[in-house]
Amino acid sequence: MRFVKSLLNELRPHCHSLLPRLNVNKRYLPALECSGSSLNPFQTPVRSLCTSWPKWKDAPQPKDLESEKLDLDIWKSVMRSQVAHEETPRDSDDDGALGETGVMSKDSPLGATRELVEMWQQAGKRVPENITDEQLEIVAEHSTKSAKKKYLKFLAIKEGYKKGNKEKQEKKRIERLSEREETSKEEDDESSSKLRNSFLLPFWQRSFDKLLGWQSAQAMRFGQPLVFDMSYELQMTPRERENTISQLLESEGSNRRSVEPFHLHFCNLNPEGAYHKELLKRYSTETWENLMITASPQRPIDMFSHDQLVYLTADSPNVLRTFDHNKVYIIGALVDRSNLPGVSLANAKRLKLATARLPLDEHLRWECGAKNLTLDQMFRILWTVKQTGSWVEALKFVPQRKHAGSPAKKDSNDYKGAERRPTVPQKKFISKQQHSRGAVEGKTPLESPIATLLKTKIAVRSDTHKARKNWWEQD
Amino acid sequence: MGPLLMPNLRVCLQHFLPVLSRRNVLNLSHKNVSQCFKVGGVNTFCTKNINNHAVDKRKAFKSRDFAIKERPVFPKSVFAAGTARRTAELMKKKAGFSDTDEPSDYSRKRHAAEIPDRPLTSSEWKRMKEGSERPDRFVLRMMEGMLSASADINIAKSLLAYVAVDTGTVPYELLLRYLTLCVNDGHWDEMYDVYDIMKSRFRSLDTGAYSLLVKGFSKTERWKETLVLLENINKIITPSPRNYANAIAAAMKHGSSATGWTLYNQLLEKGISPNQDTWRYLFEGGVSDHKYDDELLSILQHMRDNQIYPDELLANTIRKWFESRPDQKWIGGISIVNPSGVCRSCGSELESIQLTDEDYADLKDSVMKNVIKGIDVFKKTTPEELENFKGFVSKRPPFDVVIDGLNVANTLSRGNESETLLAVVSEFSQQGLSILVLGRKHMLYSTRSWNRHHMKQIQQKAHCFFTENISEDDPFLLYATLHSGNHCNFVSRDLMRDHKACLPDGRTKRLFFKWQRGHQLVLSSFIPGKMVRFQRIQSYDTIIQTNTKSWHIPYDAVGVERCTYEVPEKWLCLTTSN
Repeated sequence: MRFVKSLLNELRPHCHSLLPRLNVNKRYLPALECSGSSLNPFQTPVRSLCTSWPKWKDAPQPKDLESEKLDLDIWKSVMRSQVAHEETPRDSDDDGALGETGVMSKDSPLGATRELVEMWQQAGKRVPENITDEQLEIVAEHSTKSAKKKYLKFLAIKEGYKKGNKEKQEKKRIERLSEREETSKEEDDESSSKLRNSFLLPFWQRSFDKLLGWQSAQAMRFGQPLVFDMSYELQMTPRERENTISQLLESEGSNRRSVEPFHLHFCNLNPEGAYHKELLKRYSTETWENLMITASPQRPIDMFSHDQLVYLTADSPNVLRTFDHNKVYIIGALVDRSNLPGVSLANAKRLKLATARLPLDEHLRWECGAKNLTLDQMFRILWTVKQTGSWVEALKFVPQRKHAGSPAKKDSNDYKGAERRPTVPQKKFISKQQHSRGAVEGKTPLESPIATLLKTKIAVRSDTHKARKNWWEQD
Repeated sequence: MGPLLMPNLRVCLQHFLPVLSRRNVLNLSHKNVSQCFKVGGVNTFCTKNINNHAVDKRKAFKSRDFAIKERPVFPKSVFAAGTARRTAELMKKKAGFSDTDEPSDYSRKRHAAEIPDRPLTSSEWKRMKEGSERPDRFVLRMMEGMLSASADINIAKSLLAYVAVDTGTVPYELLLRYLTLCVNDGHWDEMYDVYDIMKSRFRSLDTGAYSLLVKGFSKTERWKETLVLLENINKIITPSPRNYANAIAAAMKHGSSATGWTLYNQLLEKGISPNQDTWRYLFEGGVSDHKYDDELLSILQHMRDNQIYPDELLANTIRKWFESRPDQKWIGGISIVNPSGVCRSCGSELESIQLTDEDYADLKDSVMKNVIKGIDVFKKTTPEELENFKGFVSKRPPFDVVIDGLNVANTLSRGNESETLLAVVSEFSQQGLSILVLGRKHMLYSTRSWNRHHMKQIQQKAHCFFTENISEDDPFLLYATLHSGNHCNFVSRDLMRDHKACLPDGRTKRLFFKWQRGHQLVLSSFIPGKMVRFQRIQSYDTIIQTNTKSWHIPYDAVGVERCTYEVPEKWLCLTTSN
C-alpha cells in the first residue's frame, strides 16, 4: 500500500490527476474573496445616496390606497427632512472625514477632478465606478469637457468588459469546482480505480510549446522574413500605440502557433522608444528576451537587399497579385484612428522601395470603411496566402462588415475583369507552392541531425495541421 | 432661351442616340427571353424588367441634368452662401433620396406616448411601473418622456412624490431631469426649490445642473446668483460660451452693463470664443446705455479680424445700436453688392479682394512651407520631383492661368476626358494667355480617355508638367499660381480645403481663403465644342469693413445654410451724414 502511495505521489505531477489543481484553486480562493472588499481605496467618503437609504417613515404615509389624496410637493418635505435627519449624526463624527475631503479637494489638483467625475456619475453619465489616480491625471489633462467625457466613457466601457469577464470566469470556476467534487466523489466510491488507465502518454502543453519553439527557431534560420516597420511611434496617440502593440502581440502569437511560421522582424525599433517600453510591459522582460523574433533598431534596407523588399501599404498604386516567397514584405506597424493617409507610402518612397497593396478590389466587392486593415488581419492574410496560395482563402480575414463577398459570385456583368483575374495566378501559384515544399523535403542537402529533426517535425506538423487547422477560430 | 436650348438638344441627341439605340436592342432581347421563360413559370426575370425601368429612369435623370446645368446664365459662385447645400440637395434628388425620411428617435416618441395626461397617485404609478418593460429604468424614462413632450409639471411632481414615498428619497439623476423640465418650461419657483434641495442634499452639483441653473436664474429676478453659479462652474471646468451668454444676457437685461462687460472681459481672458448671442445681448444693452460704444466697436473689429459674420438677428441689433447712437445720425439698410464691388445702397466702393504685397509674400511662403513640404515631403511628392518642378517653373515666363488637368478633364460625367481638357485649353490660348497644365504621368499613356492627339495639341498650346502617378498635383498647382504673381488664376473645381487645413494659423488660413476667392476659376457651363464659361470671380472682399462715413457688414440671412468655405451675399449698409 505504501508503495502504491509513493507511486501515486511520484505520478501526481506528471499526470492529469485532478487533485493538485484543486489545491491550486483553493489557494487562490481567499485572494479572490478579499479583492471584492477592497474595491476602491481611493474613494472619498461620499454620503450614501438613494440605494442604501432606509425607508422614510416619518413622512405622512398614504393610509387608504383608494382614497389617497395627491400631495404633489411631498417629495420636497421628504428630501428636506432628510437633510436635517442626516446632519445631526454627521456633525459629531464627520469632522475628521469632512476635513480630509476638504483638504483633498483644495490641496490636490485631482480632488476637483474626482469630484467632477463623481458628480457626473450621479448625473447618470457614463463614468467608471473605480478610477485610479493615474487615470484621473489623464482626465485632468484633457482640456475640454467633451474630451474628458470621451475618455471617461472609454474607461467605463473598459471597466464593463473587465467586470463581465471576471463574472464569467468566476462562474466557470464554480462550475469546474462542483464538477470536480462530483468526480472525486465517484472516485472515492470506487477507490480501486484511482489509477487511471491510460496507456497513451498525454501530450503536454510544455512539449507543445517546445515544439512551437523549435518551429520558430527553424523559421528564424530558414523561414521567409516578414518585417514590421516600427518607425511610426511618434505619429500616434498613446492609445493608438497601445492598440498597435496589442495587434503585434496577436500577430506574433498566431505566427508562433502556425505551421511554417514567418521569421518576424521588428525593424526600426528604438530601444528607448515608447514601442519598446510597451512591448516590455506586455511581454515581461524575460519573455521578450527569449522571444523567437528579430528585433533591431536597424532599418529594413540595412538588413535585406534592396530589391528583395516590398512595402505593403494601402496607398500603393501597385497590386500584389502573386505572393512571392523570395521577397521580404514590410508591414508598417501603425494604427491610424486619426487620419494619416499616405504615411507608410511616404516612408516607402523615401527608401525607394517597391510598394504593393493587397488585391482587395480584385477579389472583394468593397462596401464600407477604409481599405486599411489591422496588423493581425494583415499577418493572417499573408500567412494564409503563403500557405495556400489562394487569395480567396486569405481574404477571408478581411472583416465581413467591410465587403459583400467576392465579385465572382454575383452577376458577372459588372465585374468581368475581376472575375477573370483570380483564376490565373492561383493556378500558377499552387504549382509554385508544391515546388517549394518538395525542396524542403527532398532536395535540400541538410546535415543529418537537422534533417532527422525536420522529418519528425514534418510528421508532427501534419498531425497538428489536422488537429489545429483553424487555431484562430479557437481564440 | 431659344439659342440656349438648341445646342442643348443637339448635344443630347449626339450623346444619347447611339446609346439609346443599343439599349433598345438589349431591351428587346431581354423581353423576349423573359417571355420565353415566363411560360415555364420562372419569376426571376421580373427583376430584369425592373432593371430596364431603372435604366429608363436614369436616362430621364440624365436629360434633366443637362437642362439644369445650363439654365442659369450666371450661376452662383461656389463660394456664395448656400451653394453647397443646394448642390447637395440637387444631388440627393437625382440619386432618388427623398428629404422626408429623416431618422427619428423612436424610443423617445414611444415613451412620450406612454405618459399619462394627469397627475397620478402613488398606487397608479406603481401599477404602471410593474407593467413596464424595464421597471428599473421606468422612472427616468418617464421623466425623459415628459421632457420631450413638455408635459404638465404636475404630472412630473406626482411622479416625484411617488418615488419619494416609495423609496424614501429622490435620486440625483431624477432631480436633474426634473430641473430641466422646470427650466425649459419656466417654472421658476419650482426651480428655486429644487436648487435649495440639491444644494443642501448634495455636496456639489454636476456641470449640467449648473448650466441649467445659470440658464434658469438668468431669466428671473434672482439673476445675480448666476454669477455665483458661474464661479462654481469655473472651479470645476471652463464654462461654455453659452453659460457666459446667459449670464451676460441677465446682466444686460437688468440694466447692469458694468457686470456684463466684466463678464465679457473674463470670457476673453479665458480664451473662450464668444457666441453670437453674447454679442447680441451686449449690443442690445448698448442701445440704451452708450457708455461702452468703443468696446462695441472693438467687437466689430474682432469680427473683422477673425472673419466672423453676424447672423441676421445680430445684424439687426447692430443696426438698431448704430441708429440709436446720439448725434451721429446713422442710417442703416439692407443691401447687396454689385459684381463690380459697389454697394447698391450707398454707392461706395468696397475693399478689393486682392492681397497686399506683404500678405501675398506671407501666403506664398506659408503655402510652400506647410502645404507642399509639410512635415514630410514624401507624403505628397518627392524632393527630386519638387526640385524639378521648381526648376521648370523658374525657367518659364510667369503663367497667366494654371489648369488642374485632371479636375478639368472630369467636368463632364461622360465623354472623352482629353477632349474636355483640350477645349478648355484652347479657350484660354485663343485669348493669348500663357497656360500651364498640371497632370499626372498616366495621362500620357494614350488610353481610351486620354487620346494621344489631344494630348499633343494640349502640349503645343500650353506648358505642361506631369507629376508621378502617386504624387498629388494640387500643391504644385498652388505653388505655380502663387509663384507667377498676383495676376495669375487657376482653374479647378476643388475647394482646396485639405490644403487650407495644412496652414498653421487662422491668419494665413484667412489669407489663403481670400486669395482663393480672388483667383480660382470654376467651370460653370461647358458644352463640348460650343461653350466654355467660368464663374465670375468676385472683385471685392466679403468682410466687415468701415471708412469714416460708413460701415458695411455682411451677414448670414435666416434660412441660408452657409458652409465654412462660403461667404454671405447680403450686406448691412450703415451710413452717417455727419
